[in-house]
Amino acid sequence: MFAGGNAPQLVGPNGVSTIAEFFDSWADITPFIEAENFDTSDFYGPAVELNQYPEINTGLPLGLYPSFILYNIDMFDAAGLDYPPSDFSDTSWNMDKIREIGMKLTLDANGNDATSPDFDPENIGQWGYGDQWSEMRALLAREGAPDVGRPTSADYKTATANSPENIMALQWYSDGIWKDHFIPNAEQGDAMDATGGSPIESGLQAIFQTHTWYLTESIVGLPFEVQLAAPPFNHKGERIAVIDADNFTMPKDAAHQQEAWEVMKWLTAPEQIVDVCLIYGCVPARKSVQDSFRTAFQERFPDLNLDVIFESIEYLDIPNNEAWVPNWGRVNEIMENAGGIIKTGTNIDAKSVLDETNAELQTVLDEYWASQ
Amino acid sequence: MQWLNTRQWTLARREAASGYLFVSPWIIGFALLTLGPMIASLYFSFTKYNIVDPPKWIGIENYSRLFSDPLFWQSLKVTLHFAVLALPSGLVLGFVLAILLNQKIPGVNLWRTLYFLPSVLSGVAVTLLWIIIFNPQIGAINQLLEKIGIKGPGWLNDPDWAIPSFAIMALWGVGSSMIIYLAGLQGVPVDLYDAAKVDGANSWQRFRAVTIPMMTPVLFYNLVLGLIATFSYFTQVYVATSGATGGAGGPARSTLFYNLYLYQAAFKYFEMGYASAMAWVLFVIILILTGLVFRSSSLWVYYEGELRGKSES
Repeated sequence: MFAGGNAPQLVGPNGVSTIAEFFDSWADITPFIEAENFDTSDFYGPAVELNQYPEINTGLPLGLYPSFILYNIDMFDAAGLDYPPSDFSDTSWNMDKIREIGMKLTLDANGNDATSPDFDPENIGQWGYGDQWSEMRALLAREGAPDVGRPTSADYKTATANSPENIMALQWYSDGIWKDHFIPNAEQGDAMDATGGSPIESGLQAIFQTHTWYLTESIVGLPFEVQLAAPPFNHKGERIAVIDADNFTMPKDAAHQQEAWEVMKWLTAPEQIVDVCLIYGCVPARKSVQDSFRTAFQERFPDLNLDVIFESIEYLDIPNNEAWVPNWGRVNEIMENAGGIIKTGTNIDAKSVLDETNAELQTVLDEYWASQ
Repeated sequence: MQWLNTRQWTLARREAASGYLFVSPWIIGFALLTLGPMIASLYFSFTKYNIVDPPKWIGIENYSRLFSDPLFWQSLKVTLHFAVLALPSGLVLGFVLAILLNQKIPGVNLWRTLYFLPSVLSGVAVTLLWIIIFNPQIGAINQLLEKIGIKGPGWLNDPDWAIPSFAIMALWGVGSSMIIYLAGLQGVPVDLYDAAKVDGANSWQRFRAVTIPMMTPVLFYNLVLGLIATFSYFTQVYVATSGATGGAGGPARSTLFYNLYLYQAAFKYFEMGYASAMAWVLFVIILILTGLVFRSSSLWVYYEGELRGKSES
């Protein structure tokens, strides 16, 4: 539509990744804000920052999708395990604990868990943990590398995908699949999606690390109970809960930008934003409607502990795991390729995979800067 | 008689005009929908063009970048690997099926329909079906193999088996070439078989000396079309490799077909100029290969009534 010159006047909701992917396509809304002295103070700080770049403010924010642990209560009860905590100050809830209980929740066809000497990894019937819908940058961001969710330095000139933290994150994941067997590999994950539509819906996975959009998509009418828990601490003793965020944008070639601006304001106005956010499952970007959203969201999910969602926002990843980098599409493909290599078992050594990934990323960055 | 020549000439012009008028819809369509875009893409191949901003002339930079791009060579390698597996197997299977369906047996029309039907069903829906069939955990193929004591491979999740998986998937469409072979088989003059029988030829000898030579034009036709189709392979790869294997072209880029990489360059990386250069390189590759097949045809394609190197006595 962009190439044909008939792109819509207003686009959204867009995730951070969409903004980054089509970065050169968006109009800067700063002039519109300044022209009418539009009050942005009600917008929640992180919601604004995630789609704002030094050169451009891409649009008004709609909402945030914090991440958290979602777990199958019935599986925990069957295993006789304590539920994951919703107390964010509980430092015992970390990646090692995830591994420990993940293995106990992973069962083979004969009911042996992954800690048992009789466990058969060729016939797994239930997995303890997975976040197979997370993209690689999100998966790695949780271990808290200096660049967090961005695989480059702050000036975008040096690739940093093979930082010690990223290697640790990926090796933990690789060991979880191929050594400890509590995380499904690529084919197992695909089978799970084919049978159940999603990891939790399939009834084959006990813990899933996901975002609030998953709640509106996939947990209605489940035949078992689920609950939310705090994201775990990483190996550095920090907590990073990767976040998604949506906003509305207008293409820079839009012929009716003023009209698009009016609609953008309307959609994100306090009177409408709660209804829009309930459709998509995001926490509204406006502070003034938090209580009314919370009430409405709780009515929809009466049994879920929504405190987890609101508290997770405090641990968001900055730089965001979907944020712009040069040659965003190619960088993402290189990162996803690294993930595919691990998930399919082509190479299960995270360091060698990420060293190669980093070299490829550096080439892409060098090409980008050489052409500027 | 000058007035007669003028009348004929006017008639000839009128006839020509009528001819052009009748063929004009095709010419206009070709000009607007094929030739025009080809010229545009040729121009774009010499530019840096991200769709949003106007194209910027950069000369042959896209072409020189292609040859130093490891993903370009990977995509060529993957496509050639697929062609080597899919093309011969498709040609042979289509031919074998046609021979079997050329027999006078009860219900042969039903069998012909059943074998042809899969080629009518194609695209995304069928690919989604194949994804489940090939799933190493729950797919029918591995479950059948397990029943006979064989542990099946990872198929689409295994870099070593991903291309063979697509080659098998491509055989789903063998019905369309089978129908063409069948028509060719039914066009072989019966008196050639009678003459061969009179000469004492057995069924294998008749197949080798009559059927195959008479079918070479059809084989040639299917080879050319098959060659173009294998290098144009895209939809099935795009749909089947978007999952957990590392995105389209996974695992480990073992299914990064040429057209898939071209698509990614154009619509994921917004390098339309680079993608256009890839498209023209692909055109040249297919042109060369097809040209080689045409040139070789004089050695192995036999047309009925053609006498090779001998004058009629």
